[in-house]
Amino acid sequence: MRCSFCANEAVLRLRHANLRLCPEHLVARVEREAEKAIREFRMFAPEERVLVAVSGGKDSLGLWAILTRLGYQADGLYIDLGITEYSRRSREHCEAFAQEHGLVLHVVELRKELGAGLDEIAEALRGEPCAHCGAIKRYLMNRAAWEGGYAALATGHNLDDEAATLLGNTLRWDLEYLARQYPVLPEGPKLARKVKPLVFLSEREMVAYCLLRGIRYIYEECPHSVGARSLFLKDILNRLEDAAPSTKITFLKSFLRVHGKLPKPTETELRECPSCGMPTGAEGPCRFCRIKERMAQRAPA
Amino acid sequence: MVTLKRRDKVLTVPAGKSLERILREAGILPDTVLVVRDGRIVPLDYRPQDGEEFELIDVISGG
Repeated sequence: MRCSFCANEAVLRLRHANLRLCPEHLVARVEREAEKAIREFRMFAPEERVLVAVSGGKDSLGLWAILTRLGYQADGLYIDLGITEYSRRSREHCEAFAQEHGLVLHVVELRKELGAGLDEIAEALRGEPCAHCGAIKRYLMNRAAWEGGYAALATGHNLDDEAATLLGNTLRWDLEYLARQYPVLPEGPKLARKVKPLVFLSEREMVAYCLLRGIRYIYEECPHSVGARSLFLKDILNRLEDAAPSTKITFLKSFLRVHGKLPKPTETELRECPSCGMPTGAEGPCRFCRIKERMAQRAPA
Repeated sequence: MVTLKRRDKVLTVPAGKSLERILREAGILPDTVLVVRDGRIVPLDYRPQDGEEFELIDVISGG
């Protein structure tokens, strides 16, 4: 199998793009597609500083590597959720990557912020860990971007993530969520612009990119992701993709073309949290500060 | 025989077929894994010889 661009042997066939790629042209394609998305959706300009939320996984570390290679000023943010071994290992990958490439990595520890790791928080609040994890991470990412003066907060959401989210939102015809699903979400008062430069790159391309660039990432999954609905939706999409290549990219790109015709999402009136000063739609303290208060009220062990 | 390791599972199959066919017959969608040997990606049209070993890397992640 020859590369579509040169005489070298191809290692990966991308049926959805009708391409066969050698290692060199695979790396080039991944970086080019990310750059195209950054420009098309005006995610950030070369002179702007970007904070990349890194989890230690292939997408976020791959994204950090891509942005650095493209010459953007990208620092990393790792949120240590305190999920014992999993967090320890994922943090090690992020720290090793930053050190190897001479990059700045900010680390925020949940245990320092809230006095407990995610599992203890979920137990204390009697909820599923994932339900709190999203809200906690969003708060900490936003606060770090605001405090660090970053123009944008970049996450490693890829084509498979976005197509699965779109399928989930479409199955419920959730117009609010559909209207909020976009590769760039504008900034607001004390709210960083959120960007997803990998939106048109598949998971397979990102794994291949990491392998070819020698990026070591955490292979194991978060222990809480077992049985997650998004994995089920990804499986359905992968079956469709196998039968009809380009299903995922067509689904997402067609959606983005009609996105402007969707009713605008309800605008939540934001106030400053009386406790931390960050924006919140809630009356009184924000969700993060409420969790903090409840954790502080726990009887000491 | 050809050996394919996927996380903690080991799959042993006869040689003589392409990797894509081996994966499909094992019920694995070819685009959901990368086949790797000595850290290098092996194209799916490759026909393994007897005694060759490969690692399957899952590409799907998330929760």
